[in-house]
Amino acid sequence: MVAVKIEGNRWEGFKGFLRDLLGEGAVGAVVVPYPVPAGDSFAHLLVKEPSRVDHAWPVAPVMTVQGGRVVSRLTRKGPVEVPTVVVLRPCELAAMRELIKLNQVKPQGLLTVSFDCPGAYPLRSYLEGNGEEIKAAFLNALKDFRLAGARPLCQVCIRFTGAWADIEVGFLGAPQGSFYLIAHTPQGEKALEALGYTGQEDLAEREKAVEELTASRVSEREAYFREEFGPQVAGPEALLATFHNCINCHNCMRVCPICFCRECFFESNALKVAPHNYLMRARRKGGLRFMPDTLLFHTGRMNHMSLSCVSCGACEDACPNAVPVSRLFAMVGDRTRAIFQYEPGRDLEEPIPFLDYREEELQEWEEPYIQSTTHCPSSL
Amino acid sequence: MEKNKEKKGSEENFTPRIVYALCAWCGTGGSETAGAYWLKYPENVRPFRVMCTGALDASYVLRAFIEGADGVVVSGCHPGDCHYNLGNFRARRRLAVMKEVLNALGLDGDRLWLRWVAHGEGKKLVDTAWEFDAHIREKGPNALSRRWDT
Repeated sequence: MVAVKIEGNRWEGFKGFLRDLLGEGAVGAVVVPYPVPAGDSFAHLLVKEPSRVDHAWPVAPVMTVQGGRVVSRLTRKGPVEVPTVVVLRPCELAAMRELIKLNQVKPQGLLTVSFDCPGAYPLRSYLEGNGEEIKAAFLNALKDFRLAGARPLCQVCIRFTGAWADIEVGFLGAPQGSFYLIAHTPQGEKALEALGYTGQEDLAEREKAVEELTASRVSEREAYFREEFGPQVAGPEALLATFHNCINCHNCMRVCPICFCRECFFESNALKVAPHNYLMRARRKGGLRFMPDTLLFHTGRMNHMSLSCVSCGACEDACPNAVPVSRLFAMVGDRTRAIFQYEPGRDLEEPIPFLDYREEELQEWEEPYIQSTTHCPSSL
Repeated sequence: MEKNKEKKGSEENFTPRIVYALCAWCGTGGSETAGAYWLKYPENVRPFRVMCTGALDASYVLRAFIEGADGVVVSGCHPGDCHYNLGNFRARRRLAVMKEVLNALGLDGDRLWLRWVAHGEGKKLVDTAWEFDAHIREKGPNALSRRWDT
C-alpha cells in the first residue's frame, strides 16, 4: 500500500495531482466536475488537455449528474482505450461499482479517484442562491467538514470516504494545510509511483477521525429515520400525503444511476390500459387520481432497486415538486439491505442479493404451518 | 349487496378480498388435491396462478394491495422442489424485500404471507386459506385499497 502526505493547499493540491497524472502521461484523460462556461453550475468534463484541470472543481458543491451514470455512458460501447481517471464522489463511486456488477460499466482502463466528501447542496438552493458565496462556503467545508445547508441525506451519509477507489484523497485526520493520497489497489499504486510518490504514511490519526465521524453519522442516520423522517411518512395517510405533490414525471427514475433498464416496467404498455379499466378502478375506489399508479411506481421501484440504492440523492435533486424521494428510498433501502447485510458497491465479487440465494435462509419470512382444525371447517 | 357491506366497513360485515398467488406446479397442484378431497376454502379467496413464485414480481402484489386486496398470500413449491430449480429461492428473497418495504413504509407487511404448499398438500392449502382469511378479518380492511389518491 502506498500512502503519502501532500503539504500545501488542499484544493490546489488535489487539482495539481490530477494535472500531474494527465501531464506526466500516466493517464490519457480525466473525467472531473467542471464549472460550465456561464459559471453558475457544474458538469462532468472529459478532459484531455492538462492545463484545463486547473479550472476543474474535483469536489463540486452540487451533484448535477450522478457520476455513475457518466461512467456508464462513457463505457457503454466498450472499455476506454487510454487509461482514464474518473473523479467521483463516494456515492457516485458506489453506484459505478454497482453498475460494474450489473454489466453497465466496463471498468478496464479506468482509474477511480475519490475523496472525503463534505456533502452537496440541494441543486435548487444552489441554482437560486448566490453562486460565489456558496462556492466560498463550500471550499471552507473542506477544512472543517461541516457543510451548513447540505442536502438532508448528505448530512446523514455514512459512506463519505473514497476507500473503495483506486486512489483515495483523504482530508479527514490530516493536519491543516495537508492531505493524504492513498492507493488501495495495484493500479492506484502504479499511478502514484509513476508520479514519484512512494512510502507508507502513518494513517492512524485519519483512521480514528473517519471512525469517529462514521459512528456519529450512523447513529444520526438511524435516529433521523426512526424519530424524525420516519413518522412523517409512515402509514397510508402520511405516505400518500408525501406523494400528493408527485406528478408522476419519473424524473427520479431517469436520473437514478441504478435504474439502468432500457425500458422500465412502470413506463411500459403494461400500465397503459383501456378506459374501462380506469373506470372500473374509479368505481371501486369512488374515484381515481390521475396520473394513476403513483404509489405503485414508487413502491415498485423500491422493490426493484432499493437493495442497490447508494443514497446519492440524485432523485430528490431532480424532483420538480420537492417530494423527499431520496430519503424515502434511503430509509426503505437501509432496511431491505439489512436483510442480506448487503452494501452496494462494497465488493465487486459480492452478488446482488436478487441474483443469489442460499438453500436455507430467511425462514423467519415464511409463515410457519401448524396443522390445526381451528380455522378450517372442512377438516371436520 | 357486497358493496354495501364494504361501505359500512364494520367489523362483522367485513369480507376481506384476498388474492392467493399459486405457482403453476405445486400451489395450483395443492388446490387440485384439495378439490379431489372436496376440501373447501373461503369464497373470498381468489386464486391467482403464476408460472412460478419466482415470476411473481412485486408490482403484482403492490397492485393488488393498491387496487382492492386486503391481503395477499403466496404459495409455491417447497425450497428445493422448484420446477425451475431456483425460482422459489428467488421468490423467498423477493418476498422478504416486499414485506420489508411495506413494513418500512408503515403499510403492514403482515398482510403478505409466504407459505410453501406441495402438490399433495391439499389440506395445507385450504388451512392456509382459512387461517389467512381469519388473520385478515382480524386486521380489518386495507386502507390503501379504498383510497382514490394512490
